[in-house]
Formats: sequence, C-alpha cells, structure tokens
Amino acid sequence: MRAKKIVVVGLVQGVGFRPFIDRLARRLKVAGYVRNVGGSEVEIWVEGEEGVLEEFVKRLVSERPPPAFIEELRVEDVEPEGYSGFTIKPSGYDFKARSNIPPDLAMCHDCLLEVLNPEDRRYGYPFNSCAWCGPRFSMIYRVPYDRENTSMRKYQLCGECTLEYRDPENLRRYHAQGISCPRDGPRLLLLDRNGSVVDEKSPIETAAKLVEEGGIVAVKGVGGFHLAALATSDDVVAVLRARKRRPRKPFAVMGIDTVVLRRLVYITEEDEELLNSPQAPILLLPKREDTPVSPLVSPGLSHEGVFVAYTPLHYLLLRATRDKFLIMTSGNLSGEPMCKNEECAFRELKNVADYFLVHDREIVHRVDDSVVRKTNGRYVLLRRSRGYAPLWTRLPQKLRHNVVAFGGDLNNTIAVGFEDKVVVSPYVGDLDEVETVSELREYLDFLIASYRISREDMVVVSDKHPGYVSTALAREYSRETGARLVSVQHHLSHVLSVVGDHRLNGRVAGLAIDGLGWGDDGTIWGGEVIVVDAESGAYQRVASIRPVPLTGDMDTLRPLRVFAGLMTLRGYSEEELARVLRRIGVGEKESGELLLVRRLVEKGLYRPASSTGRLIDVVSAVLGVCRERSYDGEPAIRLEAEAFRGEYADPPEVTLYEENGVFRLDTWSYVEWVLDKIDEPRPVIARTFLESLGENLGRLLIRSTRGLGVGSEVVVSGGAAVNEFIVRGLERVVREEGLKLLLPSRVPPNDEGVSFGQVVYCLVSEDCG
Amino acid sequence: MYSRKVELLHGAGGLETFEVVSKLIVARVPDALRRAMNGRGVDVMDDGSYVKVGDSYLVFTSDSYTVNPIFFPGGDIGHLAASGVLNDLVVMGATPVAFMDNIVVEEGLDLDVLDRVVESMLRVLRENNVALIGGDFKVMPRGSVDKIVVSGFGIGVSSYEPIIDYPKVGDKVIVTGPIAEHGSTILAAQLGLLEENKGLKSDSRPLVKTVLPVIQKYRPYISAARDPTRGGLAGVLNEWVYGREVSIVVDRSEVPVRDEVRGFLEAMGVDPLNVASEGVAVLSVDASVADEVVRELARAGERDARIVGEVVEMPELKGRVVARTEVGGLVLVSSNPLNLPRIC
Ligand SMILES: [Fe+3]
Ligand SMILES: [Mg+2]
Ligand SMILES: [Zn+2]
Ligand SMILES: [Zn+2]
Repeated sequence: MRAKKIVVVGLVQGVGFRPFIDRLARRLKVAGYVRNVGGSEVEIWVEGEEGVLEEFVKRLVSERPPPAFIEELRVEDVEPEGYSGFTIKPSGYDFKARSNIPPDLAMCHDCLLEVLNPEDRRYGYPFNSCAWCGPRFSMIYRVPYDRENTSMRKYQLCGECTLEYRDPENLRRYHAQGISCPRDGPRLLLLDRNGSVVDEKSPIETAAKLVEEGGIVAVKGVGGFHLAALATSDDVVAVLRARKRRPRKPFAVMGIDTVVLRRLVYITEEDEELLNSPQAPILLLPKREDTPVSPLVSPGLSHEGVFVAYTPLHYLLLRATRDKFLIMTSGNLSGEPMCKNEECAFRELKNVADYFLVHDREIVHRVDDSVVRKTNGRYVLLRRSRGYAPLWTRLPQKLRHNVVAFGGDLNNTIAVGFEDKVVVSPYVGDLDEVETVSELREYLDFLIASYRISREDMVVVSDKHPGYVSTALAREYSRETGARLVSVQHHLSHVLSVVGDHRLNGRVAGLAIDGLGWGDDGTIWGGEVIVVDAESGAYQRVASIRPVPLTGDMDTLRPLRVFAGLMTLRGYSEEELARVLRRIGVGEKESGELLLVRRLVEKGLYRPASSTGRLIDVVSAVLGVCRERSYDGEPAIRLEAEAFRGEYADPPEVTLYEENGVFRLDTWSYVEWVLDKIDEPRPVIARTFLESLGENLGRLLIRSTRGLGVGSEVVVSGGAAVNEFIVRGLERVVREEGLKLLLPSRVPPNDEGVSFGQVVYCLVSEDCG
Repeated sequence: MYSRKVELLHGAGGLETFEVVSKLIVARVPDALRRAMNGRGVDVMDDGSYVKVGDSYLVFTSDSYTVNPIFFPGGDIGHLAASGVLNDLVVMGATPVAFMDNIVVEEGLDLDVLDRVVESMLRVLRENNVALIGGDFKVMPRGSVDKIVVSGFGIGVSSYEPIIDYPKVGDKVIVTGPIAEHGSTILAAQLGLLEENKGLKSDSRPLVKTVLPVIQKYRPYISAARDPTRGGLAGVLNEWVYGREVSIVVDRSEVPVRDEVRGFLEAMGVDPLNVASEGVAVLSVDASVADEVVRELARAGERDARIVGEVVEMPELKGRVVARTEVGGLVLVSSNPLNLPRIC
C-alpha cells in the first residue's frame, strides 16, 4: 500500500474537476479525497498499489474534463493514512488566495447531444450548459465564481436541476454554477425594431426564417450582440455593409460545425481541433475556390474568418437555416464596442438590424469573439477575448509590486499584475471612442476588485506616447491612487511581451515590426531592433528600418501621402512626382492633395517614422492593391492576400548603413523597385517584397546585435509580425544563423499585447521600484 | 518629462507646457508669493493676473511673439503682438489702458521691416486708445535670434473681479467667430501655398470694441473666457476641464470654420480644433443668457458667434472634452498641438 498527495494547479475549479477525480478514483478503486484549495488548486490524496496510483496520475491528465488545463502538477509520496473509500471534501477555503476567473467556454459535445435528443428534458433548450461549458466571465459580478455572484442568480433551480447539482456522481452538473433547464432558465424572445414581440413560441425558427428571407437579425449571445445575415447573398451582404458603415472589413462566418465549414475553407486536423476547442475562436483559413460565400464577406482576402456555433442558441438558429452557416458579426456601429444589452442594441442597431433575438439573462461583461490565424505554420492570436481572457499568465518570478498597465490607444487591453501572475483584460478597443474608455474603466475596476489589488503597493504603467488617451488615463489613475507612474517605450513593450511569454533570460535580441509607436528620440518608431537585458530591463535600440516622413494621422488612412513624402525626400521635383503619380494611375484630384504633402515634407513639417506598417502600406498603395484604409491594417492584409497567389522572384538589393550608431535598413529601395516592376504581375511583386523584407529584417537583426552577447533565441512582435511572408523570410535567415525565432503565443503580437509587455517591464526594471 | 531635453512639444501650449511651467517655475515660488495685493497670480494659470486697488482691479498680461513669416495676409508680427496682448486683457474682462513693448532684433534686419512692424503695432494701440508707456529695444548678433521677437506687456482695468476661468455645469460654450484662421494662414505661408489658397487670411485683430462690451455687460453670467491661440479650441477646452469633475461636449457641426480654411486643413490632415485663432474668444456662459449673448455679439459685429457646446457632468468622462459625431456617438477631443500621428 502506497500513498500520493497530488496538487493540480491551473484552471481546475468550476470545470467539473472534482467529480471527475471522484469517479476516476472509484473506477481505479483507490481511497482518499479530493478538495479545492486556494483559488486555483485542487488537492488530491490517493492510496493504493503503486501501479494503480501511477495509472491514476496518468489518467488524471489524459482524461481531464475538456476545459480544464493543468499549469502545474506536483506529486509527492506520502505515508498512507488508511483511508477507506474516496470522498469529495469541502473546500479548504483560503480567503487570501486569488483564483483564476474562468472564461466563457464553448458548448460541449454532451450538452449538444442533450439539446438534440427529443427524449432529453433539455431538448431544444438554447441555454443548456454544464460544468464543462457555458458562460463564465461574461456573467460574473464578482469572484468567487458561485451562482449567486453571477447573472444566473435570478433563475431559481428547479427540483431536477437541484438534484443534479447535489449529486457527486453527476460528472457534468455536480456543483456546476451556471446550469439551468427549460423550466427554470432564461427566456428567448424575438422582437422587431420597435421592440414589439414578434414570436415567443418558436423565436429561433422564426428568426432563422427571417434571415433566410434576407433579413438582418441582432442576436444576443454570450458576450454581446451579433448580427446574423445570409453569407451567400451579395445583396444581403451589401445591405449589411451599407447599414453598418463598414465598406470592406471582413465579416466572420459561423457554421453549425466543421463539416459544414469544410465547404467554405480548407481545414486541417489541427485546425479542426482548435475550432472545436472550448475556446472556439474565429480562425482565419484559406478560402476554397468553390466557396458558396459571397465575395463581399471578405473582399480581396484569401482567407475567411470562420468559427463554429459555440452555444446551443447559435446551433439551433443555424440548424434552422438552409445554408447551415451565416455571417455572425459583432453588433456595433463601426468603431464602437459591441452592444451587450437591449438598450444599446435598440439605440445603436435600430437602423442596422430588422429583428432582435434577445433573452433575459444579463451580460455583465462584454466579451468579443477571439480571433486566431496561422503564420508560418504557427497559431497566433489576433484578438484574445472569449475563451482566453481573463485567464492569467504566470511569470517566471514574482513581481515586487502590484502593477496596473494601461496598454496603448489602439486595440487596447489593460493588464493587472500581482504575485507571479498577469491578468490581461479582454479586448477593449480603440480609445478615441468614449464608450471604449468607459469599458476600460469597467474592466479595470473589476480586475482591481476581484484580485483585491491594494493601492498601497501599486505601480501604474503607460506608454510613452504623450498624446495617447491611455497615457492620460494612466496619469489620472496614478494621481487618484497615489501610485507611482512609469512609462515604457512602445516597442520595448512589444519585445518584452515575448520575453515574458517565453520566460527568456539574459540579453535578448528583439525585433518589433509595427505601425506607429512613440520613440525615445521624439521620432516615431515601428521597425526596430532592440536588445534588452531580461534581468534589468535596460535596453538599447540598435537598428531600425529607414524612416518614412509622416505628416499626420491622415497618412495612415491614405498611404499614397506617405509615398509622396518619401519621393520628396528622395529628391523628386513636383513634375517628377506628378509624372510618377500618373504612371501608377492616381487621378488629378488626389494628386492635388499629394502635391500639398510634398510641400509639407519639403518644409520639414513631418515626423520621421521607421514604421514597417507604413512602408508596407506604401507598397500596397503604389501597386494599387489598397489606397484607402477602411479598417485596421487593411493595406497590409490585402497585400498579403495578393502575395498568397504569387511566387518569390528576384528581390532587390537592399543596403544596410550606419547612422549615429544605429544600423538602418535602406527600405526605400523597395519603393523604387516596385515602381520599376509596376507592369509585372502584382502577386509576384507583393510576395517578393514581403518575403525579402522579412529576410532583410533578419539580416538587420543579426548584423546589429553581433558582439552584443545576445542569446540564441530571438523574438519578434508587433502588428506586422503576423504577416506570413515576412515571418517566413525572417525565420529562414534567422535559422541559417543557428538562431531560434519566437513569437508571442499567449498574447497577440499586435497592440493588444502591449499591456502585458508593460507588466513584464515592471517584473525586471528598477524603474518600478 | 520624456527626456532631459527641452522639446518643441513643451512649448506648444498643451498639457506639456502646463506641466513644465508648473514644475519648473510655479512650484518653486512660495505660496504666499504667488499672488499680490489681494489679487490672483501664478496660483491660477489664466490669460492674465491682477491686483486689487481700492474698489477696482488692475490686470496685467505679457506675451512674446515669434512668427515666420513676419508679414502674412491679415497682419504682421507687430499687429499680432499688440492684438494678442489686448485680447488677453479682454478675456479677463478688463479694459486695456496701457502697453509696454520689448523688441529684440537680429543684426542685419532691414530697418524698413522694423519700421512697418512698429507702425502696425502702434496703430492697434492708437485705434483702441491704449497708451504706450515704456519698453525696451535690443539687437542680437546674427544667428542668435530669428529676425525679430516682439514681446508685449499690457495693463487693463476692471471694476468687476476679473474672469478666472472656471466653467460651471450647465454653461453654454460660445465661440465668437470662425476658428483656425490664423494658424492655417501661417501654415500655408510656410508651405508656399498662399497663391493656391487665396481665401486664407489671418484673423489677427483686437476684440476690444466688439467682444469686450458684451463680456462686461454679462460679466456675472460668464464663468470663463479665453482666446484660443496656441493649441486652438481643443487646447482651451481641455485646459478648462483638466483635472476637474466636469466635461465639455462639443457639437462639431456647430463650430464655425470657413470653407477655405476647412478645405485647406483637410488636405493637410489637420483638425481645425487644434489650429490657432488670433481674433476669436471662447466664452463659457450661463445657459439662461447664452442666446442673448450670441445676439449681442452679432450686434457688436461678431456675426458668426455661435453656441458650440456645453459644460456637463458625466462622471465617467470627467475632465474630458468630447465631440458628438454624425451618428450620435461620442469621440474624445484631445489637444494635439503638434498634430502628432497616433494611429498604429
Ligand atoms: Fe504597436
Ligand atoms: Mg480668462
Ligand atoms: Zn456542457
Ligand atoms: Zn431546471
């Protein structure tokens, strides 16, 4: 007879872990107990034969409930105490320990089977859930995650549900906080735009019929409203675009399952697993040539964003349609956060949606759908929300202070750091919208309260950009709390987000390829090689791409302005510039504006910006792929789509020079090379430009960090670090040199990851005290 | 703040200027020496300062002017200096009575240029019945100053307590005329684009005869008054609410901007709210008399005066300026004096 004490750390509470252990123990006939301890740990005691105990540990890991994940498993041999039988012990409640706030989990397979089984009492029930699945964060008012702390508290469990809840044998419903059934759970209603009830008997079927007929239905889901519309009709998509004022930004398509989605996109086994995971993110996958989806859904793109029905409600709705897939895009006006209640939906979407499919459960926190793509064979998060946030990320060591990081202004997230943990908020949005700023504050207050972050020992971190709203908010917050304020350079944060994610040590060479961030020298950065000491936070920017001239925010919306400025610095006269513009097909009217930009640059009224994003925009615009940006990253995204159809041909020579101790990649030669090749096939130029840029960035990184004692793991981050071809070229060059390239894996490489990097800065730097 | 060097941003009239001035200068002045003779001084940061003498108030203000070019459509540096100083007194609610000048000239400047600048400065004073009671004149070696710097010091009198800006909830915000005229003209001049933009003309002018009488008549109803020079309207409004519990909502479509100015700035990618005016005042006025004030201003010659927003209480937006968009959303209006790009 032997005994083992097992401590499991991770997301193991509120996901049916204890009944699972209980059943496993009974099956293997081991004695002992299981109980929750602290905020995120489960403690197990087992006694039995050595072989059986080993089997127990093995199956504990391999057969765990689907949403559970194990960060740490500690197994210790102990003296047997002679337990007879196995019990679930009451929680060893430790009020000091903080727990992981569980994210929203996609409908599990068992719940779906119940919904589809006419014999089951939950047949056709749109809110079915269990310990393995269903909403969590989106309905939690406060921690701990108990029913009375969620918006399920107003639904009194019926007798049958109560029995399930109390039955330790019931794997999926024992102590499952969010369960309900048709008798006691939330109700669905279908309303018209005036708020009058259209259908309460079979709202889903009626809604599906209305969508079939070309209507747009706002659907209140788990973390907010979606707009559902036919994906196969050009007319419907055009109407949706016009009403939403969203000319080209892609819409996501939700399918009933991966079988249906296979008609739309190419799905590998690995992709399928991710699509069907409890996170069920939107995954960008290559479109099939014969896809039935309207080209207006993602105009000019090679990939479609698809996801599966992740709640019974969505499943039942899709099932009632002919296509079995629909556009399911966030219910908001362009730029504003997605609506999470009826008041907002009827205010903002009254001219967008024809009908509203709503329920009476309150959405406490807005949670957007997460978005994942694949870059050079690896998954990268583009948006980290549903299913992922606000789970914490563990750091290699403890923070010396509590940290509140305000991130950047666009694609903002905030982060809270304490002990050895960082909690990054779900996606917040762009901070020029007032609504978004209020959301930021809501998330902030929630995280501060949930984790009982004291002001006494707090550091507030902001970006260095003097004009950022987030910088102002951080300044105000530090004044309000009396906490020390620290600012971190934008691209250092990007690099540190990877350093923290992969727990790197020593001196690290990092590449930040990005849109715009405030540089330490008063210019704008965005294509930088930074060497950072992962022990002290001391850093040095050793190289960058050659800056382009930026005259204002308008340059980002109309990239040919940057082109005009660049050619001006290149010495082009007004006539020469006008000629080039004619040659690339720019009309008379637009040329007028561009010649004005020429004057601005001539007079020095610009800021140099070593921005990779703007450089890519210029190439995209010169090639005529995208000259007006209607959504974040559009010129670059469409250039990449173009490149997917081309081959890598002869790249131009790009030189490297030194300027005041900083290495520069003379990226301007790309622009002249593109002008030279303007009559050749666009996909080839696009592909060659991007991949060669990646290679040259790799060479720049290697050359500029030579002799600086950096490790063999180099990191890349920033908005452009998701570009397939840049990363391919970069990785090739880096690997030839015997180095390993790392991307962020737990936070997005774009500015959503900045807040995480800011906390990592405080992990190492003396600045934070 | 961001590095150990003084940057242009620090002098651009935005929050950074405010911070530099408070930390570098004001903080070192003992509390008791921040004001004198029952008046207000650097304890508040407004257009001017004052002391109390008997039952009336003496108001002081000073300002330095550098502008390139020296002569521009609608004015010149002398005209600008005199008008600017007088306007700072006007928005304190004081009648300008006396002026002193400090002129620093670069060696080699055309005497003729100096003559024209001085004449135009004195003309503004004469036309507004303001005495020149003193001054200083210096020449600096070539290269140590950019052609000419004109500084002015103004003295005004007021029988009411001068206006220390503190907009109150419920007030309407009034702009007395089309904004961004001066800044866009200077920008066009610097770019050599005046030929193509003939409609651009600086609004440099004193507001003594038009705006002052209205301010004095409605003095008890006015909680703030400012001339939106550096930093423009966005700068003034942000300064008014910064660190306070109130917010200002601006209706962008109501802000008067002439078509020529709007067109030019749009092409430049610059928001008119961030561009300087030299002949406009912004007032925060009790709602009960706001329409009346606009009518009075029109009668006095400010025909484009308009209500452009209001002071409100929105706890989640305290200390911020926001604009209503066409679709009814609210967008933050930050002060961005150097037109820094922000989009990532
Ligand atoms: Fe960035
Ligand atoms: Mg004033
Ligand atoms: Zn389930
Ligand atoms: Zn029930």
